[in-house]
Amino acid sequence: MSASRAVAKTVRQVKPILSVDGAEARKRVLNLYRAWYRQIPYIVLEYDIPKNIKQCRAKLREEFDKNKHVQDVRIIDMLVIKGQMELKETVNIWKQNGHIMDYFKETWEEKPKDFLSKFLSNTK
Amino acid sequence: MSALVQGLRGMLASRAATSLLKATALRTGAVALQHKHIHIQSHDARTALLSSKSMMKFLVEAPVRGYSGGEPQSLELIRERVLLVLKLYDKIDPSKLKLESHFINDLGLDSLDHVEVIMAMEDEFGFEIPDTDAERLLRPADIVQYVGDRNDVYE
Repeated sequence: MSASRAVAKTVRQVKPILSVDGAEARKRVLNLYRAWYRQIPYIVLEYDIPKNIKQCRAKLREEFDKNKHVQDVRIIDMLVIKGQMELKETVNIWKQNGHIMDYFKETWEEKPKDFLSKFLSNTK
Repeated sequence: MSALVQGLRGMLASRAATSLLKATALRTGAVALQHKHIHIQSHDARTALLSSKSMMKFLVEAPVRGYSGGEPQSLELIRERVLLVLKLYDKIDPSKLKLESHFINDLGLDSLDHVEVIMAMEDEFGFEIPDTDAERLLRPADIVQYVGDRNDVYE
């Protein structure tokens, strides 16, 4: 009796953010991808960025693939919500050109990998 | 003297009147001629148009497709269009592509690629595919069937 209660406690449902199961979360992700994909030609048109549609779509795919491993429905939901916020900010031009170019991380310096450059830049 | 002057004036006046009359008569005549000419010309053109055999043929055998009409459709045409779109999609190997090949298992696409394929089909056929239907369209044959059903094409 007590054992079954303990099991029931551990598998207790957490409060869902948006989706109740993986299939629904997946649908939301695909819809978000579709919305971004359709919006990209207009983004390229409206923002003065040195990128074409193809490069932006490759970047979009990269951003989605970055979170490929996520299994938790609640985390997927939060990521989708953040993605929708980003999309809204982009569509309404609440972002500047720099914010769009920030996705491409062109000005980021790579972290040193070999021993000597780590030593010289004083990082571990 | 005064009588002579009056006579002269009278003569001048009468001459002016006749010249004015002449002028108006001439002008109206010219206008009438012009009207007649135009009428004759248009009548001639119409008869020429109707009598020419090629024109009659054109009017009788009306063209099949109006400018606002849709393109002719058959399952064969839809199949060709679907396969063309898929061949042009850069992540699909055209040599492996068959009507019965599964996008994810046979052609090695992932779910995001599948979304892109469905969007390409929406662009090609000009209607929106809702996601409940989109997730069932996993082979080119399914898409052909779906588009055919949607446009009432059964052969």
